[in-house]
Amino acid sequence: MLCTVLRPTSGRAFIEGHDIIREANEVRKIIGVVQEKLILYAPLTPVENLEFFGKLYNIDGKVLKERIMKLLDEVKLLGFKDRPVGTFSTGMRQRLNIARALLHDPQVVILDEPTNGLDPQSVRWVRDFIIDLKKRGLTVLLTTHDMYEIDELAEEVAIMDRGRILEIGSKDELKAKYGASKIEDVFLALTGKELRDELSGRLRRRGW
Amino acid sequence: MKKGSLYHLYVVMKKDLTEFYRIRARLVTMILLPIILMLLFGYMFPSSGSITHIPIAVVNQDSSAAAIGVINSFTYMAQSSGTFNVITYSSLAQAQQALLQGRVYAIVTFRPGFGEEIRSGAAAVQVIVDQMNPTLDQIVTQGIETIFNQLNVQIAISQGFPATPGTISVNFEGLIPGAPSSFEFLAPGFIVVSTVMGGLAGLAMTFSRERELGTLDGLMMTPVSRFSIVMGKAMAQAVRGIISGTLIVILAIILFGVKIYGNILLMALIIFLGILSFTGLGLIATSFVSDQESAQMIMLMLELPMIFISGVFYPILQLPWWLRDISYMLPLSYTVLSFRSVMVLNAPLSAVWPDLLALIIYSIVTFAIAIPLFQRMVTR
Repeated sequence: MLCTVLRPTSGRAFIEGHDIIREANEVRKIIGVVQEKLILYAPLTPVENLEFFGKLYNIDGKVLKERIMKLLDEVKLLGFKDRPVGTFSTGMRQRLNIARALLHDPQVVILDEPTNGLDPQSVRWVRDFIIDLKKRGLTVLLTTHDMYEIDELAEEVAIMDRGRILEIGSKDELKAKYGASKIEDVFLALTGKELRDELSGRLRRRGW
Repeated sequence: MKKGSLYHLYVVMKKDLTEFYRIRARLVTMILLPIILMLLFGYMFPSSGSITHIPIAVVNQDSSAAAIGVINSFTYMAQSSGTFNVITYSSLAQAQQALLQGRVYAIVTFRPGFGEEIRSGAAAVQVIVDQMNPTLDQIVTQGIETIFNQLNVQIAISQGFPATPGTISVNFEGLIPGAPSSFEFLAPGFIVVSTVMGGLAGLAMTFSRERELGTLDGLMMTPVSRFSIVMGKAMAQAVRGIISGTLIVILAIILFGVKIYGNILLMALIIFLGILSFTGLGLIATSFVSDQESAQMIMLMLELPMIFISGVFYPILQLPWWLRDISYMLPLSYTVLSFRSVMVLNAPLSAVWPDLLALIIYSIVTFAIAIPLFQRMVTR
């Protein structure tokens, strides 16, 4: 919903003071989103992919070119800039995907399970990069199932279950409240240890 | 409309075309499909020259020496031209039976008194043509006419009246009343269909593909209007269609001697508007399903019946009234009709504007429905 793709059924939300429904385009300009599915076109090269998205964000030609080169250097893909993305490994694609999300200089970066399915080296690189983003003063919103990732990266934690926020607060506050040493224990204390075997809502609505 | 949204439209279109160009399989299909279709259509309904030894019936009802002389000449010329295979029948009824059964494609009848008429300088020959196959019909008609023209010259020379007009006139009749058609009638329809086959499903497919890949979310998260995204993609399809249409026309000219009498730019405009209205329709039809396969099936379900009732293979007038009404609701009918008029009859813009207007309205209406539907589909 914060990415302006899903419509909330009720309630309102603001990013940097902009209403996500009424000022969706303003919100879109200040958020950079890294989804679980990569937002890249396999037949195009990294430069073409970034140019395409850059133009949609109305970034000017020369500024865009410079920014693309800088970002490709940051994500260590400068050497592959003219190869189709389809030939890239998952780790390389995710790095480019992150570059894409940062292309328009967003103030808020939303990452949805960015280390899912990556090799250990890439996971390390992504986590270090997230730490770096924080140091640059960006707001990073990370959703993950990896509790250890939260312990390492997060400051504020919101624990969600079945679409509702059960608990929200700083990492240390939550740990102290539940007498836990790890966020994993906080999570399990809140949501129980039982396995979840639920059908997705969409399928259920269709009578599966 | 802001200047920005047109620019974004262009950016989206260019991206789609680049992507399309990079994927060899799709590019090859785009070139190959029209070639295969054109070859199929072209050989199924061949143009003159490629068909030989068409069986025709000759019925002689006059036993005079003059008549027999002309008939023998006719038979000899028909056989030796290679176009016809002459079968002689003693009665018209027999010959008609053969025509109905498809054993002959035309009946040339020399009526009683034909020999007498020749001597008086004004003879008439009755030719009944099978109208079931428009192309063959045209070849047969032209072939028979040519032979009688040559015969007329011979008769004129032998009688010493080189300046007299044709002694023998040929009256063509059809089995079924109605205007005769030809490959010229069919070719424009094939060109439109071959172009459209790629275009109709195209837009819906790129959307369902991008949705499955997840890149559609990426597009939706950019500060670009939905209009630019949808229209940019639609334009990419139209450009693709124009390119493949051009290929088909060139192919039709080279392989099947199809002639273009009309304005090529006007033809391109019709194809362009046609594709736009199809893409809108395709988008509406597929906005209710979320995966590529279902989208494909829906497109096929739309495509096939539309091809058969939109005047591609035979005139819309030949359809029962209720099918005709449906046909007039489909954009393919307007595209085929106007494209044919321009290509074959050299119809000017002033003559086809109602069809163009219909296509424009169709495009506007379908997109006016499709864009909100699309919006709903992506925001779930």
